[in-house]
Amino acid sequence: MSDLKTIVKEKLAGGADAFLCLKNEEGTVLPALITDADSPDLEFVDVGESRYPLGRILIDLQREYPDKRFAVLVRGCDERALIELSKLEQIDLDRLVMVGVACSTEEAEACGCPRPYPGDIALGEKVEAAPGREVIDEVESLGDAERLGWWKEQFSRCIKCYGCRNICPMCFCKDCALENPHLVEPGVIPPDFPSFHIIRALDMTGRCIDCGLCEEACPADIPLRSLYRKMQDIMEDKLEYRAGGSVEEKNPLSFLGTEHDIEKLEQE
Amino acid sequence: MTNSIGELEDAEAILVVGSNTTEQHPIIGEKILAAVRKGARLVVIDPRSIHLSEFAEVFLRPRPGTEVAYLNGLINAIVSEGLEDVEFIAARTEGFEELKKSVAEYTPQKVEEISGVPAEDLEAAARIYAGAGSASIVYCMGITQHSTGTDNVLSLANLAMLTGNIGRPGTGVNPLRGQNNVQGACDLGGLPNVYTGYQKVADEDVARKFEEAWGVEGLSRQPGLTITEMTDKASEGELHALFIMGENPMVSDPDINHVREALQKLDFLAVVDIMENETMEFAHVVLPAASFAEKDGTITNTERRVQRIRKAIEPVGEAKADWEIIALLGSKMGASGFDFASPQEIFEEIRRVTPSYAGITYERLGTQGLQWPCPAEDHPGTPILHMESFPIGRGRFTPCEFREPAETPDAEYPLVLTTGRLLFHYHTGTMTRRSPSLVREIDRAFVEVNPADASELGIRDGEAVKVSSRRGSVEVNAKVTEKVGKGIIFMPFHFAEAAANTLTNSALDPVSKIPELKVCAASIEKL
Amino acid sequence: MAENNNELSYKLVPSTCVYCGTGCGVLLEVTGNRLSGTLPQKDHPVSRGALCIKGWSVHEFVHSPRRLARPMIRKDGELVETDWETALQAVATGLAGARDEHGPDSVGFFASARCSNEENYLLQKLARAAVGTNNVDHCARL
Repeated sequence: MSDLKTIVKEKLAGGADAFLCLKNEEGTVLPALITDADSPDLEFVDVGESRYPLGRILIDLQREYPDKRFAVLVRGCDERALIELSKLEQIDLDRLVMVGVACSTEEAEACGCPRPYPGDIALGEKVEAAPGREVIDEVESLGDAERLGWWKEQFSRCIKCYGCRNICPMCFCKDCALENPHLVEPGVIPPDFPSFHIIRALDMTGRCIDCGLCEEACPADIPLRSLYRKMQDIMEDKLEYRAGGSVEEKNPLSFLGTEHDIEKLEQE
Repeated sequence: MTNSIGELEDAEAILVVGSNTTEQHPIIGEKILAAVRKGARLVVIDPRSIHLSEFAEVFLRPRPGTEVAYLNGLINAIVSEGLEDVEFIAARTEGFEELKKSVAEYTPQKVEEISGVPAEDLEAAARIYAGAGSASIVYCMGITQHSTGTDNVLSLANLAMLTGNIGRPGTGVNPLRGQNNVQGACDLGGLPNVYTGYQKVADEDVARKFEEAWGVEGLSRQPGLTITEMTDKASEGELHALFIMGENPMVSDPDINHVREALQKLDFLAVVDIMENETMEFAHVVLPAASFAEKDGTITNTERRVQRIRKAIEPVGEAKADWEIIALLGSKMGASGFDFASPQEIFEEIRRVTPSYAGITYERLGTQGLQWPCPAEDHPGTPILHMESFPIGRGRFTPCEFREPAETPDAEYPLVLTTGRLLFHYHTGTMTRRSPSLVREIDRAFVEVNPADASELGIRDGEAVKVSSRRGSVEVNAKVTEKVGKGIIFMPFHFAEAAANTLTNSALDPVSKIPELKVCAASIEKL
Repeated sequence: MAENNNELSYKLVPSTCVYCGTGCGVLLEVTGNRLSGTLPQKDHPVSRGALCIKGWSVHEFVHSPRRLARPMIRKDGELVETDWETALQAVATGLAGARDEHGPDSVGFFASARCSNEENYLLQKLARAAVGTNNVDHCARL
């Protein structure tokens, strides 16, 4: 198995203009864009344990630098995000090379990831993990009225940081419904129940790739991942689709057509 | 804070008093809620109903300005039920008998008459706080910004020592610092009576030490003036020149009309800031400063954690970092000891003259920071203060008597006005009101009025009203809400166009010189 | 699309949120020489990867059109732009003038709870060592 530094150098030599990776700076692991083989950052490249929304960063980078080719270090969750984002026309996979890293058993278990490895693994060993179901089981054991009360109590801690949206690799809308004053009253905490969280949960349907970054970023420890995971379970059950699977699989919610089709229509 | 933020999650009881933690320190507020989920018992004391009070086992809603009365009442209740920590009192404190005597008259019934807090609720709060294995007090400006601010803080210290809730994990007397570097500005000598690390200017040995360190002679041994005192002296024509760095007194200070008059009288005013602000109107010179993203340095958080800020981009336009501006100015004024090439060089000098920072280096700070006192480079920093003893040896109980606020309601001004911050804004709004994500949430001042008062005055929700005090008046929209009790109104102070501080009282606490921003008499009328 | 002229650069700079005394860990996103966003520092000892809305948007004010970009001096009642040399000389003269005419305690300094430790240190040193007054305070009480 070659090491990360060698891989980054190879990709930069092999046609990538920059490698989006992680580095260890003074003990903290954070994303870094390495643009040449002489970069001092190369000495500090590191997979680390902290996860960041690399998909979200890549959307911005591909927009800002439309002619550049990027390589990116991906865990299973990052790969799922990039695949789904390409179907949503937010990421151009043709300008992207993915270098896969499998999560360790420890990481996979702590995270409860449904698929803690990407399609092609360049670093690490493939392990399986079971998504945690404690919260979903707890909620499902309740009657309908109690369920609403249970969620209301969870959301009563919300301080409207928008961290769930901001960290989400799948959130890219220019106009966010959460900021629409007709749907959610501005300037009030906790935000309107249930509209704020229902809007977000519905927006995640057929889109959430179950990375769990939302829950990690939530200062109130609201079990968002379980909520969105249940939405995906229902989606899979009813429409046989789970986001982030394969590029070829069509998202059943894309029946309205794509942004590309809309632009074509507008031009005609 | 005597203790650290993370410890709150493991406290068995938390007493939040005069702190709307969720809105002013949101991440700390969530840690308090995490503690509650883990079983901590929460007591909230605040004149307003706040986010945290929804989660409190006991919520006390006193009349603003009655802090000493209800805190003495808590002590009274604890002592009369025998819940004090006898061992701690014997081993670590002195003056308990005097305290006991002084709180004797503050029975829960008497406190109910003064503060409006039901006696049985006060007793319930006392049992929760004194009965926990570890109990933490969290407080903020609702305690300090009173003409009795010092007594309020001393009363909290009495309460903590009485129950042995100091010097252990999950305990302590924990003030939350409002601005990002209040702690650091105090630590580094930005106060009129002390040099760095709280070394007194009036102390001859200290003054000599700084004369030697700085290579100067004749440093003044006379403590200087506080901000509000400087404003008074300016208006009296005794302060002639003023240099303001990163402050906006035309919005932040009490009695703005008085501030205006004072600033206008100055022979010379220099303002250094990152943004256009209301105070510039009176400046003779304005210097553009670099923002936190455009310079290196350190700031110290409320748990005494010294942390780095790092230069991410070049300063906008011709802006320069404040340290660079002061260094240039020092040299221009012919002073030596101002030729620094970087903040790190300044920090090295700070370490040499400040024992509590002596062991801190930029390298050690990294991305995690270090909590002072940190006296040596091999010292790990100090998460919890006063574990073995207090700086003065034994902790001294200080009896405090209740005094009414400087201004109480009367026929002309029948309401009590209290002020505070909102989650979505920061201080005078020069930064947050230029931030689209925050402005989208809220960008207008308001005054909260209790429905009973509103209906008496014929005011409906959202209507424009005039709020007045002896010092001025502002026009603003009313928010009719149960959040404030009858007879109390609340205004956020972020909004210059309807500045709450036009109304506030500059009456000072005699010791701390803090103005009574949390209580003044006011009236309200429909426009 | 035409060749992008921006030099390809993106970095995250660890820093500390400046909106309250909690001191949460932030990573400032820099694209080119523009502050383009904020992310939470995942392993920060206080905030542990969470932020409030102010923290998430702490980069937004930096490029505001209301930022002061040039020194200004009052001429005929109006603040007009000037150069640093002129502005600093005017401040030095203004402060030294009051000190020489009315004594050191006729001069005052407002330090700032929004500036760094180094800056507060240097300002109190300026007040005490260069002007000779202890009239230095900041907004801790406000």
